[in-house]
Amino acid sequence: MAGTATTSPTARVFVLSDLVRAVRAGLIAVVALAAGAFLFESVLRPLIASATVDETVTQTLAGLLLLLMPFVGYIASSSTLRPIARTDILRAVLTALIAAGVVHVAVVAAQAAFEVGPFAERASLEMALVEGEGGIIVESMIPGGAAEQAGMQLGDVITGIRRDSVDLAGLLTRVGQSQPDDPLRLRLLRDGEEMQITVRVALATESNVDALLQGVVIALIVAVVALFWPGAWTPFALLILFLVPMVVGYIWLIIATFSYRTQGLLPLDGSGNIGGLTLENWRFLTTNNIAGYQFDIVRITLNSLLIAVAMTVTVLLVSSMAGYALSRMNFPGRRTFLSFTLILHGFPAVTLIIPIFFVLINLANLPGIGQVVGFNTPGGIALVMVAFELPLGVWLMKGFFDNIPWDIERSALIDGASRWRTFRQILLPQIRPGILALGIFAFISGWNAYIIPATYSIGRGTSNLPVFLNSLLGETSPVDWNQVAAVGLFQLAPIVVFFVFAQEYLLNIYAGGTKGTT
Amino acid sequence: MEVTLENLTKKFGNVVGVENLSLDIRESEFVAFLGPSGCGKTTTLLMIAGIYKPTAGAIRFDDRVVNQVPPQDRNVGMVFQSYALYPHMTVFDNLAYPLKLKKVPKREQVERVQRTADAMGIGQLLDRRPGQLSGGQQQRVALGRALVKEPDILLFDEPLSNLDARLRLSTRGEIKQLQKRLGITAIYVTHDQVEAMTMADRIAVINLGHLQAYDTPEDLYDRPKTLFIAGFVGNPPMNFLNVEVRREEGAFKARNHAFALTIPPERGEKAASQSGEVVLGIRPEDISVAPEGELEGEVAVVEPLGRDDLIDVRVGESVLFVLADPHLRIRAGDKVRLHVDTGRVQFFDQKTEQSLLWS
Repeated sequence: MAGTATTSPTARVFVLSDLVRAVRAGLIAVVALAAGAFLFESVLRPLIASATVDETVTQTLAGLLLLLMPFVGYIASSSTLRPIARTDILRAVLTALIAAGVVHVAVVAAQAAFEVGPFAERASLEMALVEGEGGIIVESMIPGGAAEQAGMQLGDVITGIRRDSVDLAGLLTRVGQSQPDDPLRLRLLRDGEEMQITVRVALATESNVDALLQGVVIALIVAVVALFWPGAWTPFALLILFLVPMVVGYIWLIIATFSYRTQGLLPLDGSGNIGGLTLENWRFLTTNNIAGYQFDIVRITLNSLLIAVAMTVTVLLVSSMAGYALSRMNFPGRRTFLSFTLILHGFPAVTLIIPIFFVLINLANLPGIGQVVGFNTPGGIALVMVAFELPLGVWLMKGFFDNIPWDIERSALIDGASRWRTFRQILLPQIRPGILALGIFAFISGWNAYIIPATYSIGRGTSNLPVFLNSLLGETSPVDWNQVAAVGLFQLAPIVVFFVFAQEYLLNIYAGGTKGTT
Repeated sequence: MEVTLENLTKKFGNVVGVENLSLDIRESEFVAFLGPSGCGKTTTLLMIAGIYKPTAGAIRFDDRVVNQVPPQDRNVGMVFQSYALYPHMTVFDNLAYPLKLKKVPKREQVERVQRTADAMGIGQLLDRRPGQLSGGQQQRVALGRALVKEPDILLFDEPLSNLDARLRLSTRGEIKQLQKRLGITAIYVTHDQVEAMTMADRIAVINLGHLQAYDTPEDLYDRPKTLFIAGFVGNPPMNFLNVEVRREEGAFKARNHAFALTIPPERGEKAASQSGEVVLGIRPEDISVAPEGELEGEVAVVEPLGRDDLIDVRVGESVLFVLADPHLRIRAGDKVRLHVDTGRVQFFDQKTEQSLLWS
């Protein structure tokens, strides 16, 4: 049968063997995922649970597999039909739809048999509720169900659980979290009269017909999409899928800075309606007083910038020259120096905070220099930050210089360049990606520096943006998170701009010009 | 320019790079430094360029001792094995860089770069970067950069070893021709003896930091002064056999337990002056397969080289390399007789490894 179909593809609209193949593939996929879910849920979970208290990972994985199971089934069955779709669209679509239907029926049957998915037993009050004027109205009850047994009546308006008022979503959540036979004391209005009725939560298997119908439609759509899905799009689709959480975070950050408060991504005004956009959170740019807290945003920003720029310049200057010397020259103590810088790099900065404090205090006593790099000056903070950044920088630069063949340097010397000129004109341009990378590192760590500025600056004159941001998280008054978001975004902006421009350079990697060994 | 090396020594810590190297290079001469990898030939070249400072000894350019002169003031041009082009500069900038450093006026720079590039056949590539060029083109840029500043001495550090075989052959000729035309003193470092033999006026053979021989290619090949030279120069290498040479009934005979050869008197006399065993050397092309040959042996291996077959023949306890005509269809296991052209045999002292013929 299949043989005739391939020789004259348009001869038939439907070939049974195609369907058998598609359904088989779909069912195999379903069974495989179900087996995986079973493994996590019933084998690994008890094992892990016996070792640790928290076994939610296996449960989550099992749930995820079960969630994906029908979709993978539809996709698998459609995939077998993709070659046919290239020549005979009608036949492929028809077969794919039937196959998806069969797989769906199999999945639903399995769900019914194992009482999972739409057939799962859930905690229920066994009555239908709608949100109404003044509370939740009881619309119908299952005869003999929990609600009827407790004495509920049609038309009762539920207003709360015990003393807490509740809406429909809250009530359903509360029920969902209950164990069977838990008592729920409902506060309700019957004919305008307030009373309380205790309902015991029951277990019900309510097969959700709407969900089943939606499932069929989704199955058919997935089957057709999988049939014609361009394979080249898959990586992009996955990337977008994984990117969404990150992008959502940034979108929230931006929206939050322009709102009084937010629910999800929606800005809300004082009475809980959508709206209420405001520039109030950005007022820190123009004022010098938020809720009684005095500051000077220009000064703070300049301090941040000063630390970042001083760090970038110093780190680049010192690292590139030190890296060159360590890469190219042989002098006594070279190896020792290299190992000590490496140790310093691994040294946690926090442990040195007190000794450095004494160094800065003493530096501050020096006339002249003390005003620039002493305690409680941006220069002093930059100096300490540079010291902590240098080991990384020196090693990074040394590595880059190590990768430049000696011959290029010799060639420049023979061509008539001095050593300094060779370094500047021949070697530095070749490690430009490294210099840019290190520069960005240094700038960002200077701009975002927190621990050292927070330790060695007192008063508001020398604090930088992260320290300012932290001071907004007061311990005695409620935190205005939208305000914090605005300052955070303000601090983030230059780095984003920096990255957008630097990325182009970072990707610009040189190739060629040297062959063979050095 | 004349270059003289006097007892030149370079040590890296305790490691000897070059020791007591003395040689002179005449004006416009093309000299090759030939030796195996790590023998100190590149070290010597870098000392001449000024990159390394000698530990002892002197380097003279004409009469001036240049030991302490930095490389930028020596006016040498150098072509590296890796070409060492500046990857961030265009071909034009690469070529113009030496001129820029010499403060040549801009207009003259453009002129000279264009002229050199045209002569090298890379005139149309001036705005490319080295990464966009083929290996052969990069090699030409490197050569052009060495030539553009009109150096007094040209240094080559295995410049052809990264080219494919065909390109190597043609570039070899071009470099040689260029050097003769410009008349620049040239020093060429290589481990490839064919390159050295074909290009150089004189070859300095260096091994383990010591100068082994310094002679014309012909002398090195036909009149090797030491056993090392005899074995090192020539491919496939010379065969060596231990023999005793004696005068017997007016003729000189070289014998060991497997054979006896009659040696012409002018060579035999010198060889016979040494009592006891001496080393007899004979090149593979000087042995032929002949039915009336003096030696008999069994073929162990046959390696077809195209024009010839290289066959390993076991004679007594020694194995001889012989170049044989492929038409003879010699197979491994065949018994063959070999004729030795005794007019071309070499003799060496077993202990001193000096030649008994050419010292």
